[in-house]
Amino acid sequence: MRTIVRTLTFLTAALAGAATFAQDPQQGWLVNTLYQSGKINAVVAGVAVILAGLAVWLFIMDNRMRKLEQEQPRK
Amino acid sequence: MKYWWWKVLSVVLLLGVVIVGLRTPLSPALIACTPDRVAPGPVTVTLAGYNTHFTDAVIALWIENSGQRVCATSFKALSNDRIEMQFTVPPGLRNEFCDLWVRTRTHGDLRYRDAFYTVERGQGLDPATASTCEPADVAAASTPFTLPNRNILNESIRNLFFHVPMWFAMVALMSIGVWKSIRVLQLGKARYDREALAAVQVGLLFGLFGLVTGSLWARVTWGTWWTTDAKLNGAAVAVLMYLAYLVLRGSVPEPAKRARLAAIYSIFAFVFMLLFFFVLPRLNAVDSLHPGNGGNPAFNTYDLDSRLRMIFYPACIGWIGLSVWMYDLRKRMAHLENTRQHANDR
Repeated sequence: MRTIVRTLTFLTAALAGAATFAQDPQQGWLVNTLYQSGKINAVVAGVAVILAGLAVWLFIMDNRMRKLEQEQPRK
Repeated sequence: MKYWWWKVLSVVLLLGVVIVGLRTPLSPALIACTPDRVAPGPVTVTLAGYNTHFTDAVIALWIENSGQRVCATSFKALSNDRIEMQFTVPPGLRNEFCDLWVRTRTHGDLRYRDAFYTVERGQGLDPATASTCEPADVAAASTPFTLPNRNILNESIRNLFFHVPMWFAMVALMSIGVWKSIRVLQLGKARYDREALAAVQVGLLFGLFGLVTGSLWARVTWGTWWTTDAKLNGAAVAVLMYLAYLVLRGSVPEPAKRARLAAIYSIFAFVFMLLFFFVLPRLNAVDSLHPGNGGNPAFNTYDLDSRLRMIFYPACIGWIGLSVWMYDLRKRMAHLENTRQHANDR
């Protein structure tokens, strides 16, 4: 859990750092792809982020559940 | 069935929202034309459309300036979204800007507002000399179900079904959180504390989704990932306040004390979140770029647009349902962890 949170924090920070350099719409693959076909890709990226986030949440919950199952309660 | 009907409902609604919300085409619109100014004399104009059917549907094209029309002398569709036309502009157009109109058989009249800047303005066309321009009327075609095509927003208007319900879901979960926090203070039971924590954890997840999707959207509409806008910063502060809730919990080792302290903090955070989400944006003194404010087309016209509503309301119900379901799982897991803990401690 801790490792996942740390990794995610690092990734977010790294992406945020990269984002500040992508100011010019003429530069950067990310920005260019966002603008394609009437800006639909911004929506698709948003949906992808939500689904990816839900997946990460499910994995975290899955891990916690597994730990819970492995811990046999002492009678 | 008794207990999980709403979960099925949420999933079915979300499925419909994703399919209909992403598949429904935008209504046709005129998006660009060259040149951007007209002077008296002949001029050739190229017009670009989006989701238009120029090749077989155009009946007439005309320039309109203060109610007076100048019809195109000839036009030729280059493709479905490009059309070339010739005008002979008479002297005397009065207004600073001219609109360009396209009458089509398939989707009625399309207007490109302020298409041209008028060079050498006069006092209006002389009716005696100017040729009349009366485009043939066209029977209103039955319009297919489309989403509004707004300037600048374009396809990103679909974010309404994903970005906005994230905040609705967050508010729903934080409401559960504050309700459980009140129960903690009333009854002092640890189970309510766990439930309040679960609600805030899942609510924060949706708040983060809202920030990220909003940021992506801002890049294509405002050209920047983030601006110092009252609504944006308010939302960010609300999310940070709830992050601080988790930090606060982590810093108090004694469970009963932690539960009470966290409950009190949670109530304050909830009140501030409501202020940031619902009161601050409505203050007249606060100017915001974000849709929903005076002067911005997006949310104001959305208020009237039944086509967007038909997808937006199911989206809200679906996302809130999903988030409450996630809270339910998280809560039950927390209770289970607690009973296991106690069993091991004994």
